[in-house]
Order: sequence, then C-alpha cells, then structure tokens
Amino acid sequence: MRIEISGLTKTYKGKVPALDGLDLLVPTGMFGLLGANGAGKTTLMRILAGLLRPTSGDVRIGGNDVTSRAGRQAVQRVLGYLPQDLGVYPDLSAREFLDYVGLLKGIDDRATRRRRVGELLEVVALTSEADRRLRGYSGGMRRRVGIAQALLADPRLLIVDEPTAGLDPEERIRFRTLLSQLAGERTVLLSTHIVDDIAQTCRELAVLAKGRLVFRGTVEDLTRRADRRVWSVVTAGPAPSGGTIVSALPVEGGLRYRVVAATAPTLDAESLSPNLEDGYLALSQPGPVEDAMRP
Amino acid sequence: MSAAFRYEFLMQVRKRSMWLANGAIVLLLGLLSARSLGDVLDDPAAKATMASTAVLVNLILPVGYGCFLADRLVRDDRLGVAAILDATPASAAGRLAGKYLGSCAAAAVPLAIVYFGFAALYAATAGRPVALGWAAALFAVVILPAVLFVGAFALVVPLLIPAPLFRVLFVGYWFWGNAISPAAMPTLASSLVTPIGSYPLEVFFGVDLAGPEPGALFNFLRPEATAATALLSIGVLLALATLVLSAAPALRARITR
Ligand SMILES: Nc1ncnc2c1ncn2[C@@H]1O[C@H](COP(=O)(O)OP(=O)(O)OP(=O)(O)O)[C@@H](O)[C@H]1O
Ligand SMILES: [Mg+2]
Repeated sequence: MRIEISGLTKTYKGKVPALDGLDLLVPTGMFGLLGANGAGKTTLMRILAGLLRPTSGDVRIGGNDVTSRAGRQAVQRVLGYLPQDLGVYPDLSAREFLDYVGLLKGIDDRATRRRRVGELLEVVALTSEADRRLRGYSGGMRRRVGIAQALLADPRLLIVDEPTAGLDPEERIRFRTLLSQLAGERTVLLSTHIVDDIAQTCRELAVLAKGRLVFRGTVEDLTRRADRRVWSVVTAGPAPSGGTIVSALPVEGGLRYRVVAATAPTLDAESLSPNLEDGYLALSQPGPVEDAMRP
Repeated sequence: MSAAFRYEFLMQVRKRSMWLANGAIVLLLGLLSARSLGDVLDDPAAKATMASTAVLVNLILPVGYGCFLADRLVRDDRLGVAAILDATPASAAGRLAGKYLGSCAAAAVPLAIVYFGFAALYAATAGRPVALGWAAALFAVVILPAVLFVGAFALVVPLLIPAPLFRVLFVGYWFWGNAISPAAMPTLASSLVTPIGSYPLEVFFGVDLAGPEPGALFNFLRPEATAATALLSIGVLLALATLVLSAAPALRARITR
C-alpha cells in the first residue's frame, strides 16, 4: 500500500505552516520519519490517519483520497494508528478497552475479537495485568495498550507516532523487531526521535524540517552524509567548537568527544566512521548541499 | 453505535462518585421528609403520590446527573482517546449517538433504583400495587425525557465553555427554569420547554404545574394544558436534545482542527 503525497500543506489557525508543500512517496514496507520537535511529523501522520484536514495538497493511500469521506473510510478500514499523545479510558480494563476498539474497527464476531485481544495482550506482555483498570497503568504500559489497539484488526497500514517513547529497553527492542516482522506486505510508517530505532528497522526514511522534506533516501545514504565528518577528540580543555557534539565520554586525560563537523575540529582529531545519527546531524549543518533534495 | 453504547454505559455506571452523589441526595431528601414519610406511605392516592415523588426526583436528581454527564464528550479529547476512536472506520455520528444514549442510560440507572424502590415500598406499605404501574408511566413520560434533554446539553455545551462553568450555569438554570413560579419572575418554568415535564405532569398525572400564567413573560410557550400540548412538550424537549447533539461534530471540529 503506497502513500503518495504531493503539495501537502497544513496551516493551523493563525500559524506558520506546519507542513509546507510536502511531496513524498512512501512505498510498501517499513519507512522511517525523522525530524526535530515541531517539524510536522505528527501533523503529517494525523492527516494520513484521517483525523486532520489538509489546508491544500493531495494525499492518496493505496489510491484512496483521504480528503474525501469515502476514501478516508477505506483507509481507516485497513489502518492501525498509534497517536503520539495517546490516551485510554481510566475506568476500563485493558481487555475491555481493546474489545471496544475492536468493535469500532468492525471485528463483529465476539469469539474472533476475544481471541485477537488475547493474542495482542500476549504480544505486548500485558496478559497478567489485562483485567486491571487502566487508571493504575504506568505510562509505558499504556503505550503498550496503544500498540495492541493499533495492531487489532491486522492492519495493512500502520502509522505509529513515537511508539517507543517511554518503553523500557527490552520492550522497545521487542516492539521495533515486531514492527519489522510485520512490515513485509504492509506499510509501516514510523516516526521517532530515537534514530537507532530507524537504523535497526528501516531501509528508507525521510527527514522533515519546518514542514519541508529535507531528505528522502536509504539509511545508508543518510549515514554517508557524515562521511569524513565524524571526529573523535580527547581533551581536558574546552569543548571543541565549530560542530555538533554527539557525545562526551569521561576517559583518562579528560573527555572523549564525538563531533560531527565539516572539518577536523583539532589537529589531532581522529576520523571515525559515521552512523545514522551522525548523518542526521550532518544534515542540519552548513556544507555541501548539492544533493540535499535528492528525491 | 451499539459498541459505544455498551462501553459508555459501563464506564458511567462504574463511576463511584455518581453513586455516592445520588446516594447522598436521596439520603438528604429522606431525612428532610422523614417526618412526613410515614403519612406518605399510608396515602391511598397512588397516582398523586407517585406523581409528586416524580416531581421531586426530577427536580433534584438532574442537578447530579447533569453535572456527571458534562465531561463525557470533552474528555475524549482531553484524555487523548479521541485520536484512537476517530481513526477507526466506525461512523462518528453512530459513536456520538451510542455515547449519548449509553451515558444517559447509565445516569438513569440510579434514578430507576431510587424511584422504583420507593414505588415498591409504597405499594407494599399502602397496599396499592397499582402504584408500580403509575411509577412506570411517570418514569417513561416524565423522568426519561428529562434525562435525554439534560444529557444532550451536558454532553455538548462543554465543547463551548469549560465543564465546571457549565455545571454552575446548569444548576442555576435548573432551579430557575423548573422550580420558580412564573408569577414570581420571568422563567421558562411551567412551559412547553420545562424539562421536569410540567405539561405531561399536569395533563396525565394531575399535578398543577402547567398552562398560561396571567401577565407572565414567555406565555407564548404556555398554551392550555391538553393531551396534545403535553405530547408536544415531550416532542419539543426531545427535538431540542437532538438539535443540540447534531451541533456537536461542528463544535468539536472547531477546537481540534
Ligand atoms: N493543534 C495544533 N494547533 C496549532 N498548532 C499546532 C497544533 N499541532 C501542532 N501545531 C504546530 O505545528 C507544528 C508541527 O507540529 P507537529 O506536532 O506536527 O510536530 P512534530 O514533528 O510531531 O513534533 P514532535 O517531535 O515534538 O512531536 C508546530 O509548530 C506546532 O506548534
Ligand atoms: Mg510529534
């Protein structure tokens, strides 16, 4: 199921555009979405999920126009959506909440619904807590309920907005592995601030900045943006300037900095091989921009 | 719609505060009327007794359920559940109807318990089983329409103003628009749009509550009390409820888009 977006603009009342003439093609499979706070990721996902009307532009999902009522319904029938600001009803148990969403998703047969809810509670490791009221759930547990509801109707399109925020490391890894396994025939659109989650699951990704597309390509492409731009500097003195500091690790003789910079920050800086996060940081730095908009 | 009905009912019925508040009000009423309760329970006039109890129930208890129902619709957005529900293919109108009817039904459960509980007590002590029949009629014709009327406003108005403010205004309106005599000051009481059901109470159950009041404002809403105007009154209340509900999607879009 392909997502074709062209000229998509969304302007909230009296604000600068949250999405500004966005053109993007999301193929079947796993696709990552990166961008700073306020870049427009959530706005894009809410439009795709049929919750928000674009100001202008065209969005087709599997050929359906999400701005029309019929198209939106067609998309929502195959959609699993995990919102970023996820909420649950505190006065229902996880099992009841999932049953409710299952009904709304049109899983009418009671036995099927029960079985499906049971399976998913197992998947998100909540079986033993399933009959407790959601009021008493921790943030991470609620998110797991959110993940379960997104997967309920075996969606062909999964839109997950920062799904791993608040999950413990084990759950996070379990969930992103699950997403990759699910991808295959499905389309999974994943937004996150945890660059590693994308590095571990996606082949392709897009980066948004201020509502515009600043990168679209493979994980390798983006990583390569930081080729010969990642440096290791050990110093006890002031932090190296003129680049983005990725990390600062205490070592003998001071701190070892990992720096993304167009030129070596010091004479004795050692060049390192880049990872995806370095590539993402390099993207926002001045430097050769000749192919920054490669489609 | 049935899904929303079922779960909205369940959630509202589970609210402990609803039971506590209803319990407290009933207890208070019971204490206040304790001295006369003995006389009431012996009163052989089953219809009049059931009718005056219905007036009391309808005058006092809506203050409670009107306040409880005020968060039902707005909380979906506040809790962040709306995004999940709105992304399902279920029709938004159906979900709204289910939510409305489900939470109204839940609000009616304590009313039914209180009212039919009293009716059963009366029927037993006064030896008048016919009271149960009158109670059923009054519940259907007078108490339920009030629930549906109040429920619609309680769900929708907090989309416009904060729920706490709605509660304050609602309680003020409730006594002004129901309990005050039109002879005393301009009010919507004793009219076709009086939610405690002045017209059906007067016409079908013999409580003197409706009809024109010489010299009062809004007399155009107070035709002669007849069976036709009583039915019209119920129809008007339900139509107003539907009208208010149908404004909900547009009002919600205003705050979420
Ligand atoms: N409901 C809203 N009303 C008005 N402005 C909004 C609304 N939602 C988002 N915005 C604005 O739109 C822009 C994009 O926000 P959006 O939530 O899409 O970003 P994001 O990439 O998801 O950010 P984050 O990483 O923080 O989740 C921001 O400038 C934000 O202030
Ligand atoms: Mg976001």
